Amino acid sequence: MKAPLGLAAAVVAAAALPLLGSDYAVGIGLSLAMWVALTQSWVLISGMAGYVSLGHVVFYGTGAYVMVLAWQQYPPWLAVLAGGIAAGVLALAIGWPVLRVRGPSFVILTFGVAELVKYVVVNVEGALGRFGRVLFGGPDLQTLYWAMLGLAVAASVLTYVVRRSRFGGGLIAIREDEDAAEAVGIPAAKLKLAAFALSAVIPGMVGAIMVMRSTYFEPLQVFSPVVSFTIVTMAVIGGSDDAPGPLFGAAFLVVLAETLWSTLPEAYMIAQGALLIAFVLFAPDGIHGRLTARRARSG
Amino acid sequence: MSLLSVEAATKRFGGLTALDAVSLEVAPGSITGVMGANGAGKTTLFSLIAGTDRPSGGRITFDGRRVDGLPADRVCRLGIARTFQIVRPFAGMTVLDNVAVAAMYGRRRIRARGPAEVIAWEVLEATGLADRAHQAAGSLTLAGRKRLEVARALATGPRLLLLDEVMAGLTATEVAEALAMIEDLRRRYDLTILVIEHVMRALMRLCDRIVVLHHGRLIAIGTPAEIATHPEVVDAYLGGGS
Repeated sequence: MKAPLGLAAAVVAAAALPLLGSDYAVGIGLSLAMWVALTQSWVLISGMAGYVSLGHVVFYGTGAYVMVLAWQQYPPWLAVLAGGIAAGVLALAIGWPVLRVRGPSFVILTFGVAELVKYVVVNVEGALGRFGRVLFGGPDLQTLYWAMLGLAVAASVLTYVVRRSRFGGGLIAIREDEDAAEAVGIPAAKLKLAAFALSAVIPGMVGAIMVMRSTYFEPLQVFSPVVSFTIVTMAVIGGSDDAPGPLFGAAFLVVLAETLWSTLPEAYMIAQGALLIAFVLFAPDGIHGRLTARRARSG
Repeated sequence: MSLLSVEAATKRFGGLTALDAVSLEVAPGSITGVMGANGAGKTTLFSLIAGTDRPSGGRITFDGRRVDGLPADRVCRLGIARTFQIVRPFAGMTVLDNVAVAAMYGRRRIRARGPAEVIAWEVLEATGLADRAHQAAGSLTLAGRKRLEVARALATGPRLLLLDEVMAGLTATEVAEALAMIEDLRRRYDLTILVIEHVMRALMRLCDRIVVLHHGRLIAIGTPAEIATHPEVVDAYLGGGS
């Protein structure tokens, strides 16, 4: 019972962050909450079912684009919700054909689909004669931060709950051996599609919020594959089997980014790459996996 | 009436006919052995029945219902469970979780974790794996993994169980244990069993009836005594020797 209490205290403390009055601190908090929400969502399909998505930015970008299109016509909270729903619907549409392929082909397909959607948006915007859009008059930083914190908590709870559910058990079995999973009656196609759609909704909402934060929409930037890569890196470093993993991974990389970015920006990218390699080679189950293994040995 | 009825089941892989118009009827409560050399089409027959593969022709009826062409998970929920010749444990999960997840899906479809674990423990006791329940499935010995295949299939709550060489690679003692286990399971769970086996003597002792496949065709069907003296079987499979 100590862990839930500690986590509740951490959430309360995080919610109180704006009281410090430092926009810099709130900005970092926002960034951390964003990465937690994105990485937790990714874990649903890629960590649990083992279908590694290298294109999760497509959901983030879709949410952002929905916000842009709804801007000043609908209230922001409604656009955030719509962004989440649009991302979920997109996942269902993409997932139906794409989830039929396994392994490396799936990874490459998700990347390809994300790039495809990116250039579709670029061309639509071009045809509309819009080259970058500005979003003025949105909610203030504090409000955005609290909304994002809410998404981070929701995504973490979702991962935690799914991991312990019948649904989650089915997903893990699919990851371990999909043919054997089907042979014991697990409807793999249905479960994968549900997990994929579920993994898209919160990223869609995250994108809708982040575009208000940046006050600027430029598709090449919003749909940048670097977002997808960062999600994967955080999941690998933190661990992708359960909810604590993304918390570790996101915190680790955000802190690293903040320490290195101001002093040695190019060193950050190198450090991130080196860490990714090191974890894949020596600790493929991430920080959380290592900690669990250590606890199992000592206790 | 037959529980399972296979009519002219055919499977072609490109130019190769792995299974050629095989027909057989399986009575409820019986144990039917499937014999044949490597490549005779035994596992293909199982894959067609279990929905792992789609037949190129013919029809398969289970309990009065056509099942050929249905996906494997649907077939399992209807009450047919298979084991894999090349074992496929959920290696990263514990033995208990392997079996519990099968009980949560499968024909039983137990929604809650608690009752699924009760079934899982019962099945693990019946298959002699209870003492290894909390071990990772990947760390089991071959004999253990073969048992886990059976346990996982049983946990789904099947009426028809397809056992694909669950005794291959086991020592003589382990084979004897496995035989006793299968007979016990049939009684306890009121099962109908189809069993592929290379261990001839085991098959002879276990089965009510035996079918023999040769190059994808069914060449003989009968009681163990009939099969042992069937001229075509002796010629094709036993090689006139033993």
